[in-house]
Amino acid sequence: MNVSFKAATVITIILILGLSIASCQPQPTPATLRYGLTLAPSGLDPHIHASAELGIPLHSVYDTLVVRHPESGEFLPSLALHWDISTDGLFYTFDLRRDVIFHDGSRFDAEAAVANFEYIIDPDHNSQKAAAMLGPFKQAEALDPYKLQITLEEPFSPLLDSLSQVYLGMASPDALAEWGPSEYQFHQVGTGPYRFIEYIPNDRIVLERYANYDWGSAIYQNKTATLERVEFLFYEDEATRALALERGEVDIIGEVPPQDALRLSQDSAYKLLTVPIPGQPLQFFFNTAKSPTDDLIVRQALQYAVDRSRIIQTIFGNLSPVAKGPLSSYPFATLMPDHAQVSDLAAATSRLERSGWVDSNGDGIREKNQQDLMIDLIVPPWGSNPETAQLLKVDWESLGAVVNLEVVPSFGTLKQRATEGNFHAIGLNFFGTDPDLLRSFYLSDGVYNWSKFQSDQLDGLLRQGAIDRDMAMRNDVYRQVIDLISAQALILPVRDYVNLIVYRSSLSTPQFSAQGWFPHLIDLEFES
Amino acid sequence: MVPAPDRSRIRILNQLLRRLVSGFLTAFAALTLTFFILRLIGTDPVDSLMAQGLASPHQAEAIRIKLGLDQPLLQQFGHYLLGLLQGDLGISLYTQRSVLQTIAEQFRWTIELAFSGLTIGILLGLTLGVTAAWWDGQFIGSLAATCASLLTAVPVAFIGILTLWVASWIMLSGSQVLLPAAVLGLASSGPIARLIYANLQQSLMSPYILAAQARGIARNFRLLWHGLRPVLPPLLSLIALEAAFLFTGTVVTETVFSRPGLGRLMIRAILDGDYPITQGLVVLAAIFYTTSHVLADWLALLIDPRLQESS
Amino acid sequence: MKQPLAAWISVGWLVLLIACSGFLPLILPNGPYDPIADPLLPPSSQFLMGTDALGRDFLSRTIYGARMTLSAGALAATITIFTGIMLGLIVSTSKGWVDRVLLGLINATLAIPGLLFALLLTASMGAGFRTVIVAIGFGLIPGYARLVRSVFLQVRNEEFVTAARSVGLTPMRVAVFHILPNAIRGVATFSALHFSWAIMGITTLTFLGLSGDPSIPELGAMLDAGRQYLPTAPHLAIIPGVIISLTILSIYRISEALSA
Repeated sequence: MNVSFKAATVITIILILGLSIASCQPQPTPATLRYGLTLAPSGLDPHIHASAELGIPLHSVYDTLVVRHPESGEFLPSLALHWDISTDGLFYTFDLRRDVIFHDGSRFDAEAAVANFEYIIDPDHNSQKAAAMLGPFKQAEALDPYKLQITLEEPFSPLLDSLSQVYLGMASPDALAEWGPSEYQFHQVGTGPYRFIEYIPNDRIVLERYANYDWGSAIYQNKTATLERVEFLFYEDEATRALALERGEVDIIGEVPPQDALRLSQDSAYKLLTVPIPGQPLQFFFNTAKSPTDDLIVRQALQYAVDRSRIIQTIFGNLSPVAKGPLSSYPFATLMPDHAQVSDLAAATSRLERSGWVDSNGDGIREKNQQDLMIDLIVPPWGSNPETAQLLKVDWESLGAVVNLEVVPSFGTLKQRATEGNFHAIGLNFFGTDPDLLRSFYLSDGVYNWSKFQSDQLDGLLRQGAIDRDMAMRNDVYRQVIDLISAQALILPVRDYVNLIVYRSSLSTPQFSAQGWFPHLIDLEFES
Repeated sequence: MVPAPDRSRIRILNQLLRRLVSGFLTAFAALTLTFFILRLIGTDPVDSLMAQGLASPHQAEAIRIKLGLDQPLLQQFGHYLLGLLQGDLGISLYTQRSVLQTIAEQFRWTIELAFSGLTIGILLGLTLGVTAAWWDGQFIGSLAATCASLLTAVPVAFIGILTLWVASWIMLSGSQVLLPAAVLGLASSGPIARLIYANLQQSLMSPYILAAQARGIARNFRLLWHGLRPVLPPLLSLIALEAAFLFTGTVVTETVFSRPGLGRLMIRAILDGDYPITQGLVVLAAIFYTTSHVLADWLALLIDPRLQESS
Repeated sequence: MKQPLAAWISVGWLVLLIACSGFLPLILPNGPYDPIADPLLPPSSQFLMGTDALGRDFLSRTIYGARMTLSAGALAATITIFTGIMLGLIVSTSKGWVDRVLLGLINATLAIPGLLFALLLTASMGAGFRTVIVAIGFGLIPGYARLVRSVFLQVRNEEFVTAARSVGLTPMRVAVFHILPNAIRGVATFSALHFSWAIMGITTLTFLGLSGDPSIPELGAMLDAGRQYLPTAPHLAIIPGVIISLTILSIYRISEALSA
């Protein structure tokens, strides 16, 4: 009896402990904004990691040397008050602000900026994005305490655009040195309107207002931030995002599924904001190194067979524009090809017949040289890629093809499949504000040249575009690039990316940076 | 001569020790198995890093040497075991951070969910099982029994979806753990309820209970406790089994509720080919599995000393 | 008692489900793949269960989905049961050390989370139904083999087996003609149970998005796809969920009736 009572006591204690864990819960304070993120980044160091998601909080932790105006695309002063580019395009000289103090109390100066560049290009740090954004970077040096010079190996016109992004934000050299590349992400120190408080992977990122901030660029309306604290929570699962708002767990959240966004926008408690994201559209690369997509006519037929406006209406509820080319219409409208791709099943069919793909044995599938028309389609799991791919499959199968669709579970597997090369079409798109974005996708030896297209002409143009200083000349080069990509039918562009942001009506209208993803937290406030 | 009570205590200790040893062997075998399976069927981790553009061919060699992948497999295993003895599980391929630290960060979330889930499961299972047996043959008893079988059959994912659906009607808000814990609790209560029902039904029919009733002892809590006592040992091992299951059962709940935790960490690690994390999770799971089983055995021995003879 | 009635209802449900998924495709007006109307239409006389998020006939997808889930479950269970019984036969014909090694191996695999194994396979074989079936089929073997082993060992020690052995029959002959037939009844009940677990496992993996091609209708994947639309079209998740649950429940009931 005694023993069993002991056991009963043990069990009771376990039960009570369990219940008390279950019942404790954090209470948010009113001056706190809770921001729903949609992807838990695998790392948060902007100098090392590459995700767009990390910029949503960190854009407000760091300042950059220059900023880009979201509408005009002009570069405006931020940490650098003036800058000067040598006529050969190899030397960039920046006059820095003298009144900027990092969150840890140390002073921002040219030496601090140099330390940042050295941290980024250190090969041991394995920077996934920032280092590449510096292009043919040679060195950075402090000409005097507030004069910074960046030297390039060869001209690189996207440099200012790179310097305007959070990936090249200025971090405290003391903190970088103290924590090193694996731990710095948990102890970030910048000069921005918000201080970095904590990052618990997969759980939350917390920022607090930096009261001393008064060196913000002209893009910001407020001198310092209004909201005391911002908490970022993760909602990777699409189905949970609208619910997170409705259950009061967050005040604002992005990438809300279109159905939910439309439904919530009917409710006066919420507002819907559609923010166009510059960069590449939702797109699929055709593998030009594997039959049958090595044949231009087959690629064109596959393009013609797809009814993109119907896909967009079905999946995105008309909230997205149809993509016109390899770059989004915003802000690249002037670069778009003249003739937009159309949906024309008859044209698709006649092209296939012309190139010898006919259904000779009557099984509904076209053959050529006893080979069935097979399309292996590989897509990533995010951003409506699976839904779009299912409709592509339907369209291509109605053309007389067999389509094997595989939704891979992660970016890692996607890249692995791309390297293995056993596919005919594969989905991937990146974001960016400079057309040089196209280089790594279409250069013959580009890291993401998944269409495996080799062309000296394209290589020459893409290199030219990176060097040209004159905007009009650059535009001319990229128009040629885009025409070539369209003429070769290297991709199937589907829709321009739009971020559907839903936020509580009590919140002021959020503004976003030129990159589209990153909110100006400094200007956000709750209206009473 | 050893006095009788001491003899039985020695026997308990003896049994416990044997179970600990066999549990340890099992955990060790599990760890060995995964170590070799991971190396043999998985893709080469450094190749996959290169394919993902996260390492240049030049860096690849350095990474291989750093991770000891250039050594023979058996030697690597030896190194791993040595590290393990010092509490060192290696570093993640992707984040370059300590595996132990990465797991520790996520552990809290899973243990919080699993613990409160299991608590709800036990309470609910106990209630349903006792109700079904006590009012066996009556409406309320059948209702409880039906609920118990239903709860065994409905997949966790569907319980989660139904819970979210209902919660969205009544706009339940606040606690981050209550809903997912309720889901896990509902899912684990089914087997517990059915076990209690089946055993309690039997023990309520047993001669000594019937005799007690005949002597005029009312069907009260004391009688119930008598009836429940023999159910406890199998119940404990079932709970141990469920605790081991919860470790992975949280994966679905974590997905449905977008919650951090070990399950999601595991999915990501395996799919990205981050094998040091995967291996670390297996070590943890094996320890968890073994401890919960040994603990259940020990509690069962304490409650019912008769088991010592039979086992 | 109520048991037989419940069991008969369960048999009825399974027969109905199998019949529907076998014959209805012949008369359904729409296939499960092609978008035929606007997305997310509510149930109507034209589309009895409405349309899904891509405008496909949801009734048709449900029927084809049930067929896919049932056959995938059956295939996985076949792998488990076949291998499990083979292992049982091996144990009952060989020396004690084989049994001990096997039991040790089984216990070790049981300590590895089952999902981990399935994910490992996905990582090396690629996502898809083949992987899911193989992962669940093999993943269930250790638990099943442990149960089969105990039944076989029990039967092996019975009198008529000792008698058969004493008249000089080969161990293999004894195992196949004397042990196996007598073990079948004991094995049947948890074979049914493992069939239901196979369905549970398969729908869980496809729910987690490991089925590769989401256009192929399957109940677990449909449960996953449907949960996005809970506020506007709850039936897209509820219907597949209910079918999975009822099916698993029915198989439980039948396995219980078998053991009674």
